[in-house]
Amino acid sequence: MKGGIVNDARLRVIRHAGTIVPMLSRTGWRRGVVALIVFAARAAVALPTVELPDPGPASGLADSKGLRATVYGPLPQDLAPLPARVPLEEMDIALPWAKPLPEVLWFARRLRVWFAAQPGPAPLAILISGTGGDGNTQKLATLRAVLYGAGYHVLTLPSPTFPGFIAAASSTGVAGDLHQDSLDLYRAIEVILAHLPSRVRITDIDTVGYSLGGANAAVVKSIDAVAGRVHIHRAVMINPPVSLFASMSRLDRLFALDIGSTDEGIERLYRKLYARLANWYRSSDRVQIDESALLEAAGAVLQTDADFEAAIALTFRLDLVNVFFAGDLYAGTGVVVDPKHPPHAGDSLEEIGRALRRRPFADYFDKVFAPYYLRYRPGTTREALLADSRLDIIAEQLSHDPDYYAQTNSDDLILDAVELGWLRRTLGERIAVYDHGGHLGTLGERQQVADLLDMLAGRWRAQSR
Amino acid sequence: MAGAVAMRAALPGLCALIVSGCASQSVTIRSLPPERPAAENAAAIERLGQMKAAAAAARAHQPPPESPSEPPPQPITTADAPSMYTYDPWERMNRFTYRFNARFDEDVFLPAANGYRRIPAAVRSGVHHFFNNLSEVKTVVNYGLQLRPVNGLRSLGRFVINSTVGIGGLLDVATKCRLPFQPTGFSVTLAWWGMHPGPYLVIPLLGPSTLRDGVGYLGDYGIDYGVNPVNLYRGAPSYALGVTEAVDTRANTHFRYYSSASPFEYETVRFLYVRKELIEDEALHAWRHRKRQDATVPAGR
Repeated sequence: MKGGIVNDARLRVIRHAGTIVPMLSRTGWRRGVVALIVFAARAAVALPTVELPDPGPASGLADSKGLRATVYGPLPQDLAPLPARVPLEEMDIALPWAKPLPEVLWFARRLRVWFAAQPGPAPLAILISGTGGDGNTQKLATLRAVLYGAGYHVLTLPSPTFPGFIAAASSTGVAGDLHQDSLDLYRAIEVILAHLPSRVRITDIDTVGYSLGGANAAVVKSIDAVAGRVHIHRAVMINPPVSLFASMSRLDRLFALDIGSTDEGIERLYRKLYARLANWYRSSDRVQIDESALLEAAGAVLQTDADFEAAIALTFRLDLVNVFFAGDLYAGTGVVVDPKHPPHAGDSLEEIGRALRRRPFADYFDKVFAPYYLRYRPGTTREALLADSRLDIIAEQLSHDPDYYAQTNSDDLILDAVELGWLRRTLGERIAVYDHGGHLGTLGERQQVADLLDMLAGRWRAQSR
Repeated sequence: MAGAVAMRAALPGLCALIVSGCASQSVTIRSLPPERPAAENAAAIERLGQMKAAAAAARAHQPPPESPSEPPPQPITTADAPSMYTYDPWERMNRFTYRFNARFDEDVFLPAANGYRRIPAAVRSGVHHFFNNLSEVKTVVNYGLQLRPVNGLRSLGRFVINSTVGIGGLLDVATKCRLPFQPTGFSVTLAWWGMHPGPYLVIPLLGPSTLRDGVGYLGDYGIDYGVNPVNLYRGAPSYALGVTEAVDTRANTHFRYYSSASPFEYETVRFLYVRKELIEDEALHAWRHRKRQDATVPAGR
């Protein structure tokens, strides 16, 4: 999941802070027996007590090209035709079931979503972001543009793992349960639809999500199939995970392998990055580091497979830090936040952030997620919690309901061969698998968009490609 | 004086706006300027083409032989990287200011900038060029203070060309004559003569900064006030000018407070801002002496 929003996170931060570069490292992509021994030893240190399913190779199905496509995304000239103009509205909505807002999250009282309305009656596409992403990522903006151009109203929502969603719309504060997160999302969609401007006339409703958001989009539709309050027609998953925790554990291993699980590993990565960027910048004729400088620098700074892996693993880890912090705070599990003395708005969070950067997803599952759900869902077990994180929970619907579709790539790093096989078997004719793009590197390309529009219109057939 | 009176009259309204912005409402819908995906993508394709062309040109031309008087600077090694910690002795105050800035931005600055973005792009670009052209004044003075006459003359040339042929700065003719816009400021002058960025500082309304940048802002304002081109920086017009420049700057800055919704945003922005400044300093120092960072001292100290 996370690897997927690498490109987004990069552009997001470049756009907003104007100062980050994709992180990189030369440590890592070792092959052969020695590498395996080192890898196994490090992974053992990184993933302590909890028994997560064996995630397979750390970079999933991705090869060199897949890693690059994951970070860079499609070339601008390969994008589907985009409309000249997309009107945009921003909605901030207070949701009644939100938990009391902790002081350090003061800015996230209301859920923020974005809406692009057609002038006349039109179908509505509800788009859901990938891990850690807000409702206005670069990828969502691309999907919004193509869908608006094709005549849809478009509503874009953050991922349930986005800290703004956790604070404003989560009923638990502990993100990561596919069904519970999607339920919160579903309830939020109900409230949002009720508050859309009255001029907006909706003829049909579909959901689309990328990465983890793809899984959310499908589960939201399955919830609606029972609850029947929104009437979602079709759902399209773009590069979805099959097992949330297996994919996350794989990214943990990538982090351990390419960066290391200690403070020193992160420090080493930082120093390498700083030196490379400073040398590149010094040799360029630039006066200021700005957006275009950073795009240019990325090519000089990210070189080896290990660099790209480190960039992907780090981006994911930085999003996990937010989820971990919020979960620990809301669940009162006391891993890094003292439940009796939660931090105030003026307190430094430097040390907490530093401590969390070291912690893998396995720690989050073991010390926050599982304790919370074992307490509030009597009778459940760890194994059940792991099983609930899989797309299997809606396998029945996915295989029998003709209105579920998926698009993925044969070199997606969040999948292994077994998981890709499962997707193909379960969805049958309703999955498009592209031969390139890594994780989300095809999002917005001509073929992907043409297929997406056909899927949403219910006229897509595997044979037609 | 009229400006000062207007400012005073506007204050209560401003306060009311801030308070109302903080009040609880269950739903707020704001209309944003429309997105222009086709034009943006066309610009991205063009940028990519230029980057490729520049890279090809760089490969074709061998770097000029180093003159014996200026040996090439040692490459920066990982040991030279400054500490991951940032020197921030005024953190409590800075966090308070950051929070104030976030609220002010959301309730006042950003709505103003979004309204401004609805004005036709040609007009906005004229306004933007106008302020860029005015900034050449402090750029020329600062290049003078840095004893870099070539850069100074180039900026002076830009100022003269754009002020005349460019109709008072509304058009950037000079860039088309291969005189690129290369602004500098008093903070860079201080860095040029060896001053470190100093402690991290969040300035009310202006945002993330360092002590040296703060002094730099004052210095640049002093230069503008002293030179006072076309009498724009004193008296009533200066207020209107200041507000317009602020809105123009905001409308051209793609940053939104807490769009990350991360509780660690303060730390992240601080880290990135100071590293950016240090890397820019490295390039300056490469011209002069090699300045080593002590990796154990918090960055910026």
